Amino acid sequence: MKKLLFSILCASPSLLFAQGSQVNLQSPKAVGMGGAGSAYFLDESSIFYSPGALAKMDHNAISVAGNAVMYKSAFQEVGSTVVYHTRNQISTPFSLFAAFGPKNSWWKAGIGVYTPYGGAVDWGKDWVGKFSLVSLSLRAIYIQPTLSFKLTENFSVGGGFVYNVGTVDLENSVPVFYPDGHAGLATLKGTGTGTGYNVGIHYNLEDDFAISVSYRSKVVTKLKNGDANFDVPESVASNFPAGNKFSAELPLPSTFAAGVAFPISEKLKMALDATIINYDIYKALDFDYKENTPVLQDTHSPKKYDKAGSVKAGLEYIASERLQLRIGGGVIATPVQQSAYVYPETPDNTRYLISGGFTIKPSPKFDVTGSFAYQRIVARQSTNVESHLSGTYATNIFAPGIGVSYKW
Amino acid sequence: MKKNKLYIAAALALLAIASCKPTLDEYTPSAGSLNFSKYVAIGNSLTAGYADGGLYLEGQKVAYPNLIAEQLKQVDGSEFKSPFFSEDQANGSGYITLTALVNGQPVTAQVTDKLAYRSASPKLLTKYTDPINNLGVPGMRMDMAFAAGVGSQAGNMYFERLLPDADAMKTYFAYSTTQNHTFFSFALGNNDALGWATNGGVEDGPTSTLTSTALFTSLLGNYVTTLTAGGQKGVLATIPDVTATPYFTTVTRAALLAAVNATNPPTPVTNIYIATKSGPRAATDQDYFVLPFSSTGLLGKPNAAQIPYGLHPLNPVEDKYVLDVSETATVVQRIKEYNAAIKAAANSKGLALADVHEFLNNVKGGVRINGLAVSAKYITGNAFSLDGIHLTPIGNALMANIFISAINSKYGSKIPQVDVAKYRGVKLPDTVTK
Repeated sequence: MKKLLFSILCASPSLLFAQGSQVNLQSPKAVGMGGAGSAYFLDESSIFYSPGALAKMDHNAISVAGNAVMYKSAFQEVGSTVVYHTRNQISTPFSLFAAFGPKNSWWKAGIGVYTPYGGAVDWGKDWVGKFSLVSLSLRAIYIQPTLSFKLTENFSVGGGFVYNVGTVDLENSVPVFYPDGHAGLATLKGTGTGTGYNVGIHYNLEDDFAISVSYRSKVVTKLKNGDANFDVPESVASNFPAGNKFSAELPLPSTFAAGVAFPISEKLKMALDATIINYDIYKALDFDYKENTPVLQDTHSPKKYDKAGSVKAGLEYIASERLQLRIGGGVIATPVQQSAYVYPETPDNTRYLISGGFTIKPSPKFDVTGSFAYQRIVARQSTNVESHLSGTYATNIFAPGIGVSYKW
Repeated sequence: MKKNKLYIAAALALLAIASCKPTLDEYTPSAGSLNFSKYVAIGNSLTAGYADGGLYLEGQKVAYPNLIAEQLKQVDGSEFKSPFFSEDQANGSGYITLTALVNGQPVTAQVTDKLAYRSASPKLLTKYTDPINNLGVPGMRMDMAFAAGVGSQAGNMYFERLLPDADAMKTYFAYSTTQNHTFFSFALGNNDALGWATNGGVEDGPTSTLTSTALFTSLLGNYVTTLTAGGQKGVLATIPDVTATPYFTTVTRAALLAAVNATNPPTPVTNIYIATKSGPRAATDQDYFVLPFSSTGLLGKPNAAQIPYGLHPLNPVEDKYVLDVSETATVVQRIKEYNAAIKAAANSKGLALADVHEFLNNVKGGVRINGLAVSAKYITGNAFSLDGIHLTPIGNALMANIFISAINSKYGSKIPQVDVAKYRGVKLPDTVTK
């Protein structure tokens, strides 16, 4: 089991918890509808989107999905013509959902392994803000066993326990210079765990009109005994003790999500979702070193996040039993309300999302779903409170995804 | 086959997406009404790119006027030439490097290879008489700029290097004002106060006299009038406060006492005695010891009468090693007066003013620039080179941005800023000396 967990971790996507907003890529079906559909889809991905809906599945199923997230940021310093771009890198968030239980029963069990926050950023060692940040990625994975019950034919509830394994990998340049003139580098790597829960209720008036309400709790992930390594000239190495450790706390915010789904016509269905994300628990990012020296002090970066939220809408067109087409879009508010708290690892602002997708069912038991999501983070000028790095950021995110599911 | 095509199409689609980088175009450079077809930089060692106690190729390349000129290329600036030492003689005058940090104390060594001397006595450098734009001459002073013979073999070797033999008696003023410039930067005058201050307030020759404010003001007026005679625009720099440099702030009374007491004297030493113009006295924290004093090894050394150096009023630290509190007041006041004259000259001629004095006073307490901590601390502050007075490449980049901001704000031009993060601080040895 340990080995399995490890291999899952290695394959897991880079997750940037600090990323202003969630990139919900758990199910390519929902992604195709702009991330909406928590009330609409009654399938194994309900484990994440709406645990209350799970009991309404009339079958058992397993699905896996993966995405190739391309996160592209650019930065231009105030008064400069030079534009820096983040390095091309593709992170691959994935999800696995399995739902099982007696058919047409009053209960259903399931397990989900998924990655609720997406992104990773690598600005390189040559950019203007390298002393603030070179790269940051957080790899995390939520494992969620879930139970769901039908209380009446139309009303069901569900809930799951969340166990998170997260790793942080951060690099920034240190202003001590080698004889050839290049700067030192600090690398902080750590693993931490946290726990939380995900609960929800689902109600459908008739077969087609449904309401879902769910709440995913915060998951405070504590990193202890992370490795702090400093690549610095030997003559100053004593200021940066070898084998140093650090601890940090990474709060992943709670989310309140509500969705409705209704038919527009026989073949065209609509879903609307809204979320409130309680990012305001992310006040600061502190790194506490085990050994301090006059040069190496604990760091405190104020983040001052505020609550944020999103609204999303999507359409599904049921072309035939074997083919469904989807389109959707949304607006995601930024938790970074004050521009002084825009950091290079979170060059956040209001995001606009458009997406599309399809499902092909070669057989009643097996389907393949494709999705494509594009997010644009509106360009934003900032003078950071801590580094005084001053300039404009712009970001585009592309996320093609694919998933397969098998039911029985 | 069909499958292959599908794969290729998918790969191409991914590639197309991957190239969709966000675009930013927030700054359009412009020279405004300025003409940068010939920018010349007039000044002393700071202008020349002197660093680590010497003039050498690496420092010349990152001299602030060179960094400014690089940015001017984006606003139609023409090529900017400097009297670079050749690769074979890249170490120029020689300079100091850091060889070790022993208990945090720097150990330095003089670089002695690849030097550019053509004569050892008098010391003369390989000539460079091609046309140049960076006219900075280490050691040049306002008063000396008007003195004939400074460029002769008996004068300043850095100036001598630039003059054809026939022009040996040309003054720096005459040399620097006849280059057909269209734009200029002017940063002269530091040494008129600093020469005296670095010598502990002792005048022992033309390089350590303290130029009077009246003479300074009159020569400056003459200079600026000549430089702007053809309606040329330019930028004047103010003179930094000496107490903002690690040359004066690193070797403190407390550090000296700690060093002496670390040798376990019979009774703890509580006073360092210094010679002043009004007789010997115990030093206070308001007296500045110059940086080179720490490496003289004089402190505590007994004289013929067995009185330890600096620890007794009868064998005090010599005046030239200490800028005492009253000498400090004198030099601070003088620099204030010079700067008032510089500001007045900039105002009267409609020139930009790069307030280096104000900037280095801010750096003194420590500033954060794009996440990079910069201060006036010796070595670790990243702004000052190993000589404690001249700048590191980072310091030069910051200086270039002060000039660029001053020019942009005065003339409405849009010269792009220098990316400071591309430059280094003090090079630290990657070895440990036991």
